[in-house]
Amino acid sequence: MKAIWNYIRREEWSPYIAGVLLGVVGILAVWINNSLLGASGAFENLVGIIGKAIAPSLFDNMYFNFVMPAEITTNVILLLGIFFGSMLAALTSGTLKFRVNDNEQWKKIYGPQLWKRWLLLFVGGIILEYASGIAGGCTSGLAISGGMLLDPAAFLFIAGMFASGIVTAKIIYGKRY
Amino acid sequence: MTSFIVAFVLGLAFGFALNKAGLTKYHKIVNVFRFTDMAVLKFMMTALVVAMAGLYALRGLGLVTFPAPPATYVVGNLVGGLIFGVGMAMAGFCPGTAAAGAGDGKLDYIIPGVLGFLTGAAIYGLTYQQVQPAIMAIANYGNVVIPDLWNLSPFLTVLLFAFMSLFLFYMIDRAGWQRKSSDQ
Repeated sequence: MKAIWNYIRREEWSPYIAGVLLGVVGILAVWINNSLLGASGAFENLVGIIGKAIAPSLFDNMYFNFVMPAEITTNVILLLGIFFGSMLAALTSGTLKFRVNDNEQWKKIYGPQLWKRWLLLFVGGIILEYASGIAGGCTSGLAISGGMLLDPAAFLFIAGMFASGIVTAKIIYGKRY
Repeated sequence: MTSFIVAFVLGLAFGFALNKAGLTKYHKIVNVFRFTDMAVLKFMMTALVVAMAGLYALRGLGLVTFPAPPATYVVGNLVGGLIFGVGMAMAGFCPGTAAAGAGDGKLDYIIPGVLGFLTGAAIYGLTYQQVQPAIMAIANYGNVVIPDLWNLSPFLTVLLFAFMSLFLFYMIDRAGWQRKSSDQ
């Protein structure tokens, strides 16, 4: 028992063990909720709610009314769960701490400036979310959720993601790749 | 209401797994693209093998019916993935791991990260009509899964995927497919 608790408290698990946990979560989502895991869709629901409050006529379109309705969906709740689940995990390992720009490898590659990190994460977020829209999901909603059903879309997405990820990392890292 | 509670509990476990796998960290994600730390790949493929084995077994026993799988439209899935990979290698997160990274206290993810995702979602939702129907019209196979599309035995397909994954894990852990890195 003590050994298990000690393992749970480790900052990093074996990716195989963490992977089994995610796999079980994927099964339960289908079995209990008849739904798939996803993350990018929740941001679309959320921005619909915000958009309809700020600029109702602009956001009164087919997409925010029907495709990804501007409301609290199970995906939004799931995203909230991910946030608190990770917080719980960080509590068990004592790594929960509000902080900025704490990644050593990031600073080595991009430099220590905070504005640069915030700009790149902001732009990265836009790219990732738009790409998820085109592809029909992100790493959770398409790669994992589609992949576990043996959906061809998932494997096309994963192939594209790794191909361009490798090229992009090569370009950014240059000689340090 | 029940589905909300289930979704929240599943989200907790999902976030817990992402955190413990190290996916809330920039270097963990970018290093898979440099082949210097393959944890992300091991994590994803283990989850896929476990989930597909469980789900196809449950379906075979008649205990579940699958929800509609994400639609396959070859060009969109692939091009979306290509653009996604650029963002992921550049920023070192994705929508799910950003939420998880926000949860362990990274203000970089909570503020510019979340704002970026929301902005991207707004741009996508506002340009949806002009972009998406055209992309989805190309090579669209609908909501299909590989065993049905190619008339394969689901059991053999899952078994093949499991063996491929085990082979890959063996090559990474034992046969030196993971590169040495001077940093971290």
